[in-house]
Amino acid sequence: MRSVKALTGNQAAAYGVKLCRVEVIPNYPITPQTIIIEQIADFINDGELDADFIPADSEHSAMSMAIGAAATGVRTFTATASHGLALMHEMLYVPPQVRLPIMLVNVNRSLGAGSGIWVEYNDSMAERDSGWMQVYVEDNQEVLDMVLQGYRIAEDGRVVLPFMLCLDGFVLSHTVERVELPQQEEVDRFLPKFVPLNRLDPKVPMSMNIAVSPAHSMEMRYQLDRQMDSARSVIKEVDVEFAKAFGRSYGGLIDTYQMEGAEVALITLGTATSTARVAVDELRAEGKKVGLIKLRFMRPFPHEELRKATKHLKALGVFDRSISANRFGPVFTETRNSMYGSDIPITDHIAGIGGRDLTVPVFKEMFDVLEKSASGKKVRECTWHGLRGEM
Amino acid sequence: MYEIRFHGRGGQGAVMAAQTIAEAAILEGKQAQAFPFFGAERRGAPVMAFARIDDKKICDKTQVYEPDMLVVMDESLLDIEPVAAGLKKGGCAVVNSKTAPSDLDLGIKVRCISVDATSIAIELLRAPIVNTSILGAMVRANDFVSLESVQRAIMNRFGEKLGEKAGRVNSDAAKAAYDRAREGTCRGERKIVKKNAWLPTWQETPPGVAIGKTEKAGMAVGPGSMSQNLTGTWGGANPVYDEQKCIKCQRCWFICPEGCVHRKDDDHVEFDLRYCKGCGLCAKVCAKEAITMRKKGASE
Repeated sequence: MRSVKALTGNQAAAYGVKLCRVEVIPNYPITPQTIIIEQIADFINDGELDADFIPADSEHSAMSMAIGAAATGVRTFTATASHGLALMHEMLYVPPQVRLPIMLVNVNRSLGAGSGIWVEYNDSMAERDSGWMQVYVEDNQEVLDMVLQGYRIAEDGRVVLPFMLCLDGFVLSHTVERVELPQQEEVDRFLPKFVPLNRLDPKVPMSMNIAVSPAHSMEMRYQLDRQMDSARSVIKEVDVEFAKAFGRSYGGLIDTYQMEGAEVALITLGTATSTARVAVDELRAEGKKVGLIKLRFMRPFPHEELRKATKHLKALGVFDRSISANRFGPVFTETRNSMYGSDIPITDHIAGIGGRDLTVPVFKEMFDVLEKSASGKKVRECTWHGLRGEM
Repeated sequence: MYEIRFHGRGGQGAVMAAQTIAEAAILEGKQAQAFPFFGAERRGAPVMAFARIDDKKICDKTQVYEPDMLVVMDESLLDIEPVAAGLKKGGCAVVNSKTAPSDLDLGIKVRCISVDATSIAIELLRAPIVNTSILGAMVRANDFVSLESVQRAIMNRFGEKLGEKAGRVNSDAAKAAYDRAREGTCRGERKIVKKNAWLPTWQETPPGVAIGKTEKAGMAVGPGSMSQNLTGTWGGANPVYDEQKCIKCQRCWFICPEGCVHRKDDDHVEFDLRYCKGCGLCAKVCAKEAITMRKKGASE
């Protein structure tokens, strides 16, 4: 029987790792991620998970070890946050091109200076060019489910790319919610044994991650580009398979809420989606035609899906929880790029920076701007919500 | 949706209490959420935790600003924190106190449950960790979860971590508090003073994540400003000094992690209790037993 537990987002990630029978877990602790690897260490200590737990001397080493382990053909996991991810940066570029389907949970936390431990996306957004798939989730059930889906997507022969699961620091990582745990046999049926694309084996020598001259690197890079593109259909397919096995579906690359008859809509990601749902419900009750698009994957980016979902809108807003100084938030830039040629006015809405609490009125304020924009009024291209002082 | 805010001190188990009440609700097939105030926690420092309970999926992921229930795990917080701020009219409060509800002043007149959770915890757990007792009193205040579910959740959480026996005594503590809790209405005379905070606009914010010694919004900021944080309220005990026994060796001055042992001109010492957290290291290193630790509130 499936069991129901009260788990934090960090614990949900660890349970996912256990259910996926991960074999090697190199790690280095950092707030707010540490509980993930502590919980995994508990599982291994209690004999519930048969895995090698390797404490590394830095995040850079942890990712290097993960690369080495995955290259021998075993399912590998590590977790980090913020400065830890930044320290991994150099090594993050290896698994995509070497085609190692490592899972990394990044518990989103802002990068200093102005050091804080709270959620912002400037850590993982900075890594969206590295070739990792990236998913952002809104509750702890989705954390667990996306560990399961993530390995299945990453290890699929049509993809074979590493998978970064991004979850909001504290708002998910330290928050207890109701989580349904599937049975081990169900997960075993859903996630077949890992078959690596290449495997380091002393008996069958193979050169891996060698120096590559300009004569070959361009083809390799294009291959990676195509590989990421083919992940798009696999992500949707796996979500359908997951729904068949476990009864929960997330919509693949994006999900929508109250988009039927919506005249204006907001694109959100992470836990912002969850609270924004409350704002949408309240505004709909007032008769306002508002909707929500939940951006799940930042890589591969759902450009076609967004164009399709927004076709009938009079105005579109994009929520961003990070900023590229002087050039908007990354979700906005990517969205507007994908919408090139469309007549729909698109605006950027920066909020929740440094972990500032995202409340229902903040989202209502965003919809206010969108309604003005829809009625043809001039609005700012980019609004910071909850900022003290005139913009 | 039912929203709860816990006020306690680091080490009392406010976060665990919030998680346990959420788990109890989940055991009953409800939806629930529990989380700490997102920040650093230190033993003795004022802390907050939150919980939400509902029959349907809870989407609101913000902090709780207007709770239906207020849980005060340490009565002394009422004097230093705006504990009852935002508590809904018609809400209720659960207070760890020896005092009857009608003699408690929370600054808002609401239904109130008081229980001497500290005594129950010391009696049954032999430690002033009041979270499980307070859970019993919470059930008494409101029937959103049954005592049985709370006890089961305690067995799950504490039993798993600390062993079955620990689970059972904690479960007993909840039951004892449920039985001994007193119901009534608290007083609303105290003025709930909002905490002072300097919140500059972006134009006023000093550049470079840096600030010199200055005063803003009626308080010091910059170097030395932490001295306004009277951490002496965090501790449970204070040193008592016998100058006659002191041989001026200065070991206490050297060891104090808070720098609150000061050398006088004659090399005797004095204690700055505004910042003493009551760790007892000074008494521990004293070669002549010139320093003893006395529990706060204990008679001389």
